[in-house]
Amino acid sequence: MPGPLTGLRVVDVSIMAAGPWIGSLLGELGAEVIKVEPPAGDGTRWVEPLQHGMGTNYLCLNVNKQGVVLDFKNPAERAAALDLAATADVFVQNFRGGVIERLGLGYDAVRARNPRVVYCSVSGFGEAGPLGKEACADFIMQAYSGFARLNGRRGDEVEAFRFTGFLDLTTSIVAVEGVLAALLAREATGVGQKLEVSMLQAALEMQATRIAELFGSGKSPRPLGSEAPGLCPDRAYPALDGEVFVTAHDDAQWRGFCAAIGEPALADDPRFATNRERVAHRAELDAIALPIFAARPMIWWLRACDRQGVPCAMAQNFEQIRYHAQVRDNGMVEEVRTQWGTVVVGGLPWHFAATPAAVSPPPVPGADTERVLAALARTRAEAIQ
Amino acid sequence: MTDDLPLAGIRIVEVAAGVAGPLAACRLADLGATVIKVETGDGDWMRDCPPFLADGTGSVFFALNRGKRGIRIDPDATLDRATLRRLVQGADVLVTDRTTAELGALGLAGVDADVCAWHPALVVAQISAQGKRGPLAGKPGSELVAQAMAGYTRYVGAGGQPAVRLGADVAGCATGIFTAQAVLAALYARRRGEGGQRVDLSLLNSLLAMKTVHLAAQSDPDAFEGPRVGGAYDPPERGWKTADKPITFAFGGAVGAEGRPGWTQFVAAMGLAKMLDDPRYDKNGRLTTGLGPKARELKPEYEEQFVRFPAEEVVARVREFGGFASAYLTHEELMREPQVAALGIVRELGQRGSKVPALGFPVKFGATPTALRGEAPRLGEHTQDIVNEAGGAA
Repeated sequence: MPGPLTGLRVVDVSIMAAGPWIGSLLGELGAEVIKVEPPAGDGTRWVEPLQHGMGTNYLCLNVNKQGVVLDFKNPAERAAALDLAATADVFVQNFRGGVIERLGLGYDAVRARNPRVVYCSVSGFGEAGPLGKEACADFIMQAYSGFARLNGRRGDEVEAFRFTGFLDLTTSIVAVEGVLAALLAREATGVGQKLEVSMLQAALEMQATRIAELFGSGKSPRPLGSEAPGLCPDRAYPALDGEVFVTAHDDAQWRGFCAAIGEPALADDPRFATNRERVAHRAELDAIALPIFAARPMIWWLRACDRQGVPCAMAQNFEQIRYHAQVRDNGMVEEVRTQWGTVVVGGLPWHFAATPAAVSPPPVPGADTERVLAALARTRAEAIQ
Repeated sequence: MTDDLPLAGIRIVEVAAGVAGPLAACRLADLGATVIKVETGDGDWMRDCPPFLADGTGSVFFALNRGKRGIRIDPDATLDRATLRRLVQGADVLVTDRTTAELGALGLAGVDADVCAWHPALVVAQISAQGKRGPLAGKPGSELVAQAMAGYTRYVGAGGQPAVRLGADVAGCATGIFTAQAVLAALYARRRGEGGQRVDLSLLNSLLAMKTVHLAAQSDPDAFEGPRVGGAYDPPERGWKTADKPITFAFGGAVGAEGRPGWTQFVAAMGLAKMLDDPRYDKNGRLTTGLGPKARELKPEYEEQFVRFPAEEVVARVREFGGFASAYLTHEELMREPQVAALGIVRELGQRGSKVPALGFPVKFGATPTALRGEAPRLGEHTQDIVNEAGGAA
């Protein structure tokens, strides 16, 4: 069944992660997505690990696309790329600053052929400013944006999130938010526009709550282990056989927490009566709750918290996630069949009741070149007639 | 000017708390939608989360709820339920994190059907902790619970040590972004002739969608090598030491199998020329910098020279020779960066007579304006006005 963007075409000349996943998400929303790679290939084909010789990053970050290879250094193929861009509702690029203009596919060149294009330009640090032409990568932005300064044990300086490309993908989802807004705006204005998406601004959006605390207190946030700065209780509690992760957001959950640990009278203790009081008396609550949790197994706490309506979970690894009934019943991961074997990828992040879309496999690099270029030639011939 | 906003004329009712729903509605308001925030009881739990601004508003609550009007309703009062129903009947979008049962108790039974029978044009974005279906449907969750269940806590901290979370509220913020996308996409479909519909989102689903790199890496890899399959068993990653603060850097990279040159000149310039003849080092830095498989093992050999220079200087050298680099900045340092000023990322917005810094819409539009508004509502601040507009008694 068609998705909300059925009938739209995306031309994606981006490589690596932050750019390519934009096209995949737009494809998962129903758009037709054409990935255009240079002959040397998107570097993700060689990023470890490989599956039957193909980089798994390439496989998961290019789902829902067709694969075209064009050499932008060859004038004829460069012209074909511009012809293709002229047919696009959305164009995605993430070359280092200034490169796309040299390749003849800058915004002005594409707009001259296609004024309706939503031109999505992805950079590390934005296109203005002293770092406007610097390249970036996930772990670089984890450092620059302060993201890694939030992680670690109390007293630690810094710790990176190992190594999901999380801020790359954050950039992709922020870009899709912008592209969708621009497509809606185009319905009213009839024209497209250029969007500038930076990993920096996306990384700050992903830290929106910690940045808001910085603006409120003037102080840089610090690593807090498993705890959160503004909420209590909200942490990992070591139980007899491992840790359980428990949160209480509001008064009902707080009362449930007290009941679950067998200390119902705590609920009305003035030190803990409100969240702000609990945050201020965090250590006193830990002194009471930690020994209680330590005395019983994880399964006990899962049951006790469940009975009281308190959020509580154990940490899961890949095998547990992959086969979890909840994950499968909600389509949170998907398996796609490729010539490199079956690959597990993230599922659709949204599930539309009336216009559902689906995850489809990534392309074989260049496999669609002839067909896409032939269709382009036909379109051009028809236009001339 | 407001007529130019992409969501001009779009009316949103938000019945949500915490991060995801409020963040989504805030960004949709930045695009021109009008948002009415509906609260019950003590209101959004985020109201009680420190730190607090000069007027007593929680700073996170402000960031996620500025520019909205607020109504407080009593679910046990027939008139209040009728008011809410009229508000939703007059809206284009409902953003909610309430369950089917909770929505029914608010007088909105049927609103989260695939298409709402009593308002078929309505777009409903329904956020849950762990998904609308399945054995955990309807159970409460949290940011922390979602991080643990999605396996995120395995990639910070160290095995056998107390768990560490990601300090950013990644489940809440990612779900907020996905929710804004869902609403925009559904409005786009509606504009092109589709009706309204419900869209399901969840904290756990968002984190698993965002885990696609790790999921694919672990599917059936040819070798269990590299940070994407081995990361859970690696020690904490804290970068390369310099004279002051740690940095991270990489050569090699984007196009083809070989990556970029520059590493040989960089190591020579840094006094590390001995690496050039050392067989443990490849000649483009791909294996020994960044996420390269030998990077951790050989880190101390780079640090021998790096510790003689301030972070800023090492970073400048990497960039000079075509690599990528950054120091690990604190947030205060980041906010002083000329780059942040150049992009206009931080804006000043009003909150009861004072000016508060805030983040704007996270994308720079070439043509479309955005409208960042201040003033987060007090609990029930606009109840009477909204009731009057909806044509009912309080």
